[in-house]
Amino acid sequence: MTPEQITLVQSSFKRLEPQLPALATRFYEELFGRDPDLRQLFTTDMALQKVRFTEKLTEIVWAIPRLGELLAHTRALGARHVGYGVRVSDYRTVGEALLAALAAVLGDDFDAQTREAWAIAYNLVAESMLDGAASVRPIRA
Amino acid sequence: MLDAVAVAIQRWPIVGRRSELDVFERALGADGCAGLMIAGPAGVGKTRLADECREWAAAGDHPTERVVGSRTTAVLPLGAVAGLLAAGLGRLDADGQLNTVTLFEETRRALRERHQGRRLITVADDMWLLDTASVALLGYLADRAAIFLIGTVRTGEPVPDLLTGLWRDGRLERVDLQDLNATQLDTLLHLALGGPMEAGAQQEIWNITRGNPLYVHELVLGGLESRALVERSGVWHLEDRLPSTSRLRDLVEQRIVGLTAEARSVVELLALCQPLELDYLETAVSIEVLESLERAGLITVAVADGTVSLAHPLHGEVVRAALPKLRARTIWLAEAERLEALDQSPGPAALRIAVWRLDAGGRPEPAILLHGAHLARYAHDFRLVRRLISAVPDEQLDAIGALLLGEALYELGDFDASEQILARGQELPCGESVALRLAVTRAKNAHWGLCQPDMALKINNDARAVVTSEPLAEEIEADEAAILTFSGEPEQALEVLDRIAGSGQRTGVVRAISEAVALAATGRTARAIAVAEAGFANHMELGDELAIAHPATHVINQVFALTEAGRLSEAEQLARAGAEIVAANRVPIAQIWFAANLGRVVTLQGRIATARRYYAEAAGLAEANHFAGPRRLALSGLALTQAMLGDAEAAEQALRERVAVPDFGFLRPEQQLADAWTAVATRQPGKAAELFLDAAAQARASGHRTSESWLLHDLMRTSTHDESGRLLELADTCDSPLVAARARHAAAIRARDAGALSRAADEFEALGAKLLAAEAAAGAAEAYTRAGDQRAATAARRRSSALAAECEGASTPRLALPAGAVPLSGREREIARLAAEGVASKDIAERLYLSVRTVNNHLQHVYTKLGVTSRADLARALENDS
Repeated sequence: MTPEQITLVQSSFKRLEPQLPALATRFYEELFGRDPDLRQLFTTDMALQKVRFTEKLTEIVWAIPRLGELLAHTRALGARHVGYGVRVSDYRTVGEALLAALAAVLGDDFDAQTREAWAIAYNLVAESMLDGAASVRPIRA
Repeated sequence: MLDAVAVAIQRWPIVGRRSELDVFERALGADGCAGLMIAGPAGVGKTRLADECREWAAAGDHPTERVVGSRTTAVLPLGAVAGLLAAGLGRLDADGQLNTVTLFEETRRALRERHQGRRLITVADDMWLLDTASVALLGYLADRAAIFLIGTVRTGEPVPDLLTGLWRDGRLERVDLQDLNATQLDTLLHLALGGPMEAGAQQEIWNITRGNPLYVHELVLGGLESRALVERSGVWHLEDRLPSTSRLRDLVEQRIVGLTAEARSVVELLALCQPLELDYLETAVSIEVLESLERAGLITVAVADGTVSLAHPLHGEVVRAALPKLRARTIWLAEAERLEALDQSPGPAALRIAVWRLDAGGRPEPAILLHGAHLARYAHDFRLVRRLISAVPDEQLDAIGALLLGEALYELGDFDASEQILARGQELPCGESVALRLAVTRAKNAHWGLCQPDMALKINNDARAVVTSEPLAEEIEADEAAILTFSGEPEQALEVLDRIAGSGQRTGVVRAISEAVALAATGRTARAIAVAEAGFANHMELGDELAIAHPATHVINQVFALTEAGRLSEAEQLARAGAEIVAANRVPIAQIWFAANLGRVVTLQGRIATARRYYAEAAGLAEANHFAGPRRLALSGLALTQAMLGDAEAAEQALRERVAVPDFGFLRPEQQLADAWTAVATRQPGKAAELFLDAAAQARASGHRTSESWLLHDLMRTSTHDESGRLLELADTCDSPLVAARARHAAAIRARDAGALSRAADEFEALGAKLLAAEAAAGAAEAYTRAGDQRAATAARRRSSALAAECEGASTPRLALPAGAVPLSGREREIARLAAEGVASKDIAERLYLSVRTVNNHLQHVYTKLGVTSRADLARALENDS
C-alpha cells in the first residue's frame, strides 16, 4: 500500500464510524445475497455477530500502519476462521460483499481511489488471514 | 522496521496462491489422488508453491523428498531421483539383465517400510527435464501410493508421457499458475518489505515485472542490496534506478556477479551438486555467508531434512552457464571423491557420484555405467545407452555391455559398428543365455541392418556350437525360421519350425513371429491369425526382454494375415489402431511396418491415393531410421501406387530411388508388382507380362501362394494372358476368400461370362476390394454388350463407375469404359425427365405433340440405355447421367 492509500482507508472509515451498524447489516446482506450457503456458518446471534464484525474491522483498520501488529492480529483471526468452516474461496466473496457495503453506506464519498485503497487493504488482510489459516494443519500423515 | 524486513525476507511471502494450496490440501486428502501438477511459465512461482506444499505436509508429519530435473541430471537414468532409491539400484538377474519392474517394486516396498506406510510427499521440480526412467519410477510409485507427487511443468512443455495414464484416470490434480495482478503485487511488496511503498516505486516495479513473482523477488532483493530501494520514516522509496534489463535471466546474472567470492563458491557448488547437507556446507564456509545467501533469497534450507538447495532452478541454470568448464570439472570430481569417502555402498550415492564423474568428462565405475545403460534401454533411449557404454574402457567391457551397445547401435542404424561390437562380444566369456542373445542380435543386425540374410543364417548356425541346452537351443531354430521367413522363404521356414519340439515361453514368442507370417504367405490365413493373436498375448506376459522384437510385431503380423485372408477392413482398423500406439511410444520400426501394411491393405481396397500416402510415410520413416529392407518394400509400394494412378513418371522416379537400396528378400516377388505396373503405365505390355510371370514363378518356388495369386491376377487385369487355371489351383490350396475371388474372377474373364463377372464384382465388393469390383463390373458390362443385353450392360457400367469413383483416381486398363455406352438423345432426355417427374405417358405425349406409343418407345430405349426398369429408378439414373 502507499501511505496515501492507508490514509484514505482510515479517513473514509472515520467518516462512516457513526454508521457502523448500518455497514454491518449491509455487509451481511451482501454476503448472504452472494452465497446463501454461508448463512449456516453463523451459529451465534446475528446481532452479536454484527457487533463483533464492527469491532474487528475497527481494530484492523487502525492497525494497518503497524504491520507487525496487523499481521499478528489477522493471522490469529484467519486461524480461528478455519474452525468456523470458512474456505479459501469464501475470502473472495467476503471481499466483494465488503466493498459493496462500503459503497452503499459511503455513497458518493466512495470514489475510485477510495475503492482501490480498500480493495488493496482487504487483499493484504485476506492474505495474512489465509497465512494464519494455513498454519492450522488438519491433515496429518 | 529493518528488523521486520529481515524477518520477512528470510521467508519470502507467498501471495495469491492460497486457492492453489487449497487444491493441494484437498488432493492430498482425496481418495485415489496420486499427485498435483503445477504448470506455468518461468518464474511464476511453481517451485515456491511446490515447496510450500511440501513444507505444509512436513509440518503435518508427512515424510517429504525433493528431486530436481535439470539438463545435467538427465544424463544418467534415475540419477535425479537417486534419493528415492531406498532399496538401492536393483540387482542384475542370472542373465546379467536389470529387471526394471523388480527395481521399481523393491523401491516401492522399501519406501513403504521406511515411512511406515505413509506416502512420501515428493516434489519433482522441473519435471519436464527429468529422464524417462525417473519419470517412470515416479509414476509407478505415485500410482501405487508410495509417494504423493508434486510435479512442476513449464508451460509449453508436455506433461511427461509416462504420466498420461494417471492423467487419464483423473488421479492427478492440476493447477495453472499465472503472474500476479497489480493488487496481489501490492500485497506481496507490502508483506516482503514490511511496510507501505510510495506510489511511483510501486508503479515502476509493476512496469518492469508485470507481476512475475520471481522477477519481483530478484528485482526487490537486488534493489535492497544496491540501495536503490530504501526505507525512510516507515515508507519505501526508490532512490535510484532499478536495473533496466527486461530479461529475468540478466537480472539473476547481475545478482550473482555481485556476490563475494566465498558466497559465490557455495552457489556454484550447489548449482552442480545440490542438494547438499547443511552440516557439510558449514564445514566449507562460515555460517554468516550461508545466512547472507539465505537472506538474499538465493538458497533455501529444507526444514524437513536439513539439506540446502538453490532457491530457484533459474539460479542454477545461470550459474552453470557462466561456470568455466574446468572449474565445473574440479568441483564435480572433488565432490565425487568426498562422497565416495563417506559412502562406499553401491547405492544411490554411487549413482550421484557417477553423474558427477560423467559430467566432469571423467570415467565412473563401469558397473554404474552398465546399470545406467540397462535403465536407458528400458526407456528405449538408445543414444544414452551408446553414450554410457562407450564410456566403459574397452578392456573392462563385458559380454552384456557389448550386447547392450550392439543392440543400441543397431537401433541407431550404425550396422557396421554393431556387427563389430557384437562379434567382439561373442569372444568374451558369458553364460549360454547371453551367448544366445549376442548371436540373435548379431544375426538380426546382419539380416535387417546389413541386408545379408546368408550371413545372418551363418551367425545363427554357428551359435549352435555354444548354445546347447534347451530351451535356449530351440530358440536358434526359431530364429532361423525368422530369418528364412523375412528373406522370402516361408515354406522352408515352416519346415524348420516343424523341427522345434519344446515349448519354452520365450521360444514360443519368437516362433510366433515367423510362423504367423509364413502361414499367411503360404495361404493358411486362419491359423496365421490365431498364431499372431496368441503370440501377442504370450509376449505381453513375458515382458519386454532383451533381443526380442517389439510386442507390436505380433499385431503387425496379424494385420498381414488378415490382409492375406481378405479381411481388409479389419486389417485396416487394426493397423490404424496399432500405428497410433507405436507412434505415441516412438517405436520407428513398428511405425514403418504398420504404415507399409496399411499401404498394402489400402491398395487392395482400391484407395490408391491413400495407399500411396502410407507407402510414402513408410519410406520416409525407413530412410530416417536406416531400415533399408522395409524402405525397399515401401518404395516398391510407392512405385506400384503411382503406376496404378497413371503417373508413370513418378513411378519410375520411385523405382530409380529403389536401385540404391540393397536387395531385400521379404515379399521379394511382390516387390516386382511395382516394376510390372510401371511397365503397364509406360505402355510396355510385353515387358509387364514378363515381369508378372517372372515374379509369380519366384513366388511359386518359395511357396508364397498369396503373392503368386496377386501377381497372376494382376497379369490378367492388365493383359490378355490366361492364368485362370493356376489361380484356381492356388484357390484350392489357400483358405483365403480373396485368393478364391481372384480365381473366380479369372475364370469368368476366361469364359467371358457376364453373369460370372457380375458375381466376381459382388465378391470383391463384399471383401471391400473396390477397384477389383469396379474392374469386374466393367468386364461384365462388356460381356453383356456383346451378348446384346444393353440394359444389363448399362447397369453394370453404372455400377463400375460408382465403384471406380471410390478408387481415388485409379487408372487401370480394365477400368476404361467398355464400348457400347450409348448417350441419351435430346428427345429421349426430354421425355425421360418428364417421366421422372411423374408425368404420365399420355400427358407427355400431349405436351410434346407425340403419340403415346412413340413416347413409350422412347422411354423403353431410355430404360435400356440407363439400365433401369422402373420410373422410380429413372430420376436417380438421370442425375448420375447428366
